[in-house]
Amino acid sequence: MIWTVWQVNVRRLLHNPMELLLTFIVPIAFFSIFAVIFGGGVGIGTTPKIKVIALDQWDSEISRALVNDLTENPGLRFMRSPSETNLSTEEAKQLVRRGSVGMAMILKQEGDSVAVELLTDSSDQVAAQLVTAIVTESIVQAKVAQQQQSIRFAATNIPPGAAGPLPNDRSMANPVQVVDVIGEGKSNPVVSMYAAGIAVMFLLFGATGGGGALLEERENQTLERLLSTRLTMDQLLLGKWFYMTAIGTLQMLVMFAWAQLVFGVDLIGHFDGFLIMTLVTALAASAFGLFLATACRTRGQLSGISVVLVLTMSALGGSMVPRYVMSENLQQYGLCTFNAWALDGFDKVFWRELPVEALAPQLAVLLISGIVMLLAARVLAVRWEMD
Amino acid sequence: MTAAHHEPPVLELRDVEKSFGSLRAIDSVSLALRGGEAVALLGPNGAGKTTLIRCISGLTRLDRGSMQILGHPIETEGIRSALGLVPQEIALYGDLTTKENLYAFARFNGLSRRASRERVGWALKWTGLEKRARDLVGFFSGGMKRRVNLACGVMHSPQILLLDEPTVGVDPQSRQRIFRMLAELRDAGTTILLTTHQLDEAEQQSDRIVIVDQGRIIADGSKDQLVEQSVGASRLVKIRVDRPLKGPLKMQNHLSGEPLGETGKDVVTTRIDDVSHHLTDLLHSVRQNGYDVSDVEVHAPSLQHVFLHLTGNELRDG
Repeated sequence: MIWTVWQVNVRRLLHNPMELLLTFIVPIAFFSIFAVIFGGGVGIGTTPKIKVIALDQWDSEISRALVNDLTENPGLRFMRSPSETNLSTEEAKQLVRRGSVGMAMILKQEGDSVAVELLTDSSDQVAAQLVTAIVTESIVQAKVAQQQQSIRFAATNIPPGAAGPLPNDRSMANPVQVVDVIGEGKSNPVVSMYAAGIAVMFLLFGATGGGGALLEERENQTLERLLSTRLTMDQLLLGKWFYMTAIGTLQMLVMFAWAQLVFGVDLIGHFDGFLIMTLVTALAASAFGLFLATACRTRGQLSGISVVLVLTMSALGGSMVPRYVMSENLQQYGLCTFNAWALDGFDKVFWRELPVEALAPQLAVLLISGIVMLLAARVLAVRWEMD
Repeated sequence: MTAAHHEPPVLELRDVEKSFGSLRAIDSVSLALRGGEAVALLGPNGAGKTTLIRCISGLTRLDRGSMQILGHPIETEGIRSALGLVPQEIALYGDLTTKENLYAFARFNGLSRRASRERVGWALKWTGLEKRARDLVGFFSGGMKRRVNLACGVMHSPQILLLDEPTVGVDPQSRQRIFRMLAELRDAGTTILLTTHQLDEAEQQSDRIVIVDQGRIIADGSKDQLVEQSVGASRLVKIRVDRPLKGPLKMQNHLSGEPLGETGKDVVTTRIDDVSHHLTDLLHSVRQNGYDVSDVEVHAPSLQHVFLHLTGNELRDG
């Protein structure tokens, strides 16, 4: 009997390709995604290049040498040529705030040596620490080389007994000062990012679940019955789209209200940006759910495909792991997902505190992709209208 | 011929054809229903009944032929609102209450909010589900679901109601309840086209029976007309005698050319064309053979005989 039960279950599994996919292929796929993120990203020292600019306010031989040294560092990408960077400190701060660069380095004179002020975005905690280490190392190496040269010069030209002790160079102790231009005064710098990440992922799951209701209606012939009334397929899809969007928006609102109550995320202070980002993200996610539902034949198929797609999009798009720890290629691939665009938008709202106009690229991408998905869903649903 | 036969049909199909690949599901079907008429489409599973209902309700596209509803081509904007569809499946929202389902379908059929609320009250009474109005339909028995399923199809008071196997899988009690509901609709003047493969349902619930097999209409008329057209008006007579026969009985020539009955059996079976005259002659012949009659059964030809005669097959599945 036990053997028969075992056999029956094995046979059922073999007859169910979607279950096989979820059992054997999906774990491998996810292992591979995370292996690429962590193994090919930070794990083997190929940290993605950090976008920086340098403002050489001293403009001396020493500071120029330091900048030259830094430009050769493989971990940094200079977004503007150091010689062409003619910005004020405030303009540099704005670039960091807008996310155009990850960090701005301001080189200043301190005594006869160089000191660097790093204007950072503390949401990328890895970048701040990494650049601090790189810049400190470069300054210290330059200092050591300078002092060795001085010692050699003194040893050959100064009479014995004339040499005094080495100057006590205070800049050697702490040559890099980090200034957090965005996170200052914020109680919990990354919690809004995680709130958005998780909320968007569940928005997608919710949307695919909502799409599943359409397939359920089709399977139990309610859909045909509905279409035999005055209801048209256009009205049905639009009704479902608006419903799923409303539920998704409410879901996000509840999530962020909780984040405000418990973790101090300032929802009320950013409500306009939050609302428009949430609404457009929910519209896009709902259209995605409807597209998947109309592309699938059964709820089982939808369930399997949606799990794979949503988890993959969430992993690549930054819902699970911040995209800044991923390699540059993965970050680019991430832009093919709803999650990345939505999270970038929420990042602008809650972290960078940019005005609503700054959300235009994210809103445009989400809205256009949502409309395209909805149109595709409508085209696919034609086959259900009449056979 | 009644006055109704002079009225234009409320639903008319002309040379309708539909194929799925190489399978011809409907083959040159022409059919007309007059106002208030109840017509049963009788046929085995796979005969094309459901496809025909789907074509009429606009869910399946015709390959050929034309249809008219209330004298207008089926393509006329809004004309299909004269139709009500009750599908074979329980096509309801199981996670909504009876009242919510009824209200939703009233709205989908174009009723205003107020009219929908009024119609829901009527439907609850009609189905006898007033006390279950706030219960989730998903937890109902099969018979109760069928009643709600039926009610959802008539929320907009359609002139023509299409029912696809409306009593599949329900117990006899629920079936009778559904029949009563249909009778009320008929009394109110609703034209009914129902598909069934149950002979008694076709016989009880319709004025006219259309027998469909392999996508074609093979007979159309009242039960008596069908019988007359196919097996004729003969009756099956079973006569039980007072003791086992010692041998076949010799009968009058106009009753049977050959002796009837088998040695050792106490029942004689035959067919007669004219009950009023031939039954008396038959009983007289039995007595002339020296036997007393202890029981007589006279059977009219059934739809089963008609179907068998027309198709050469019993009503079958698949």
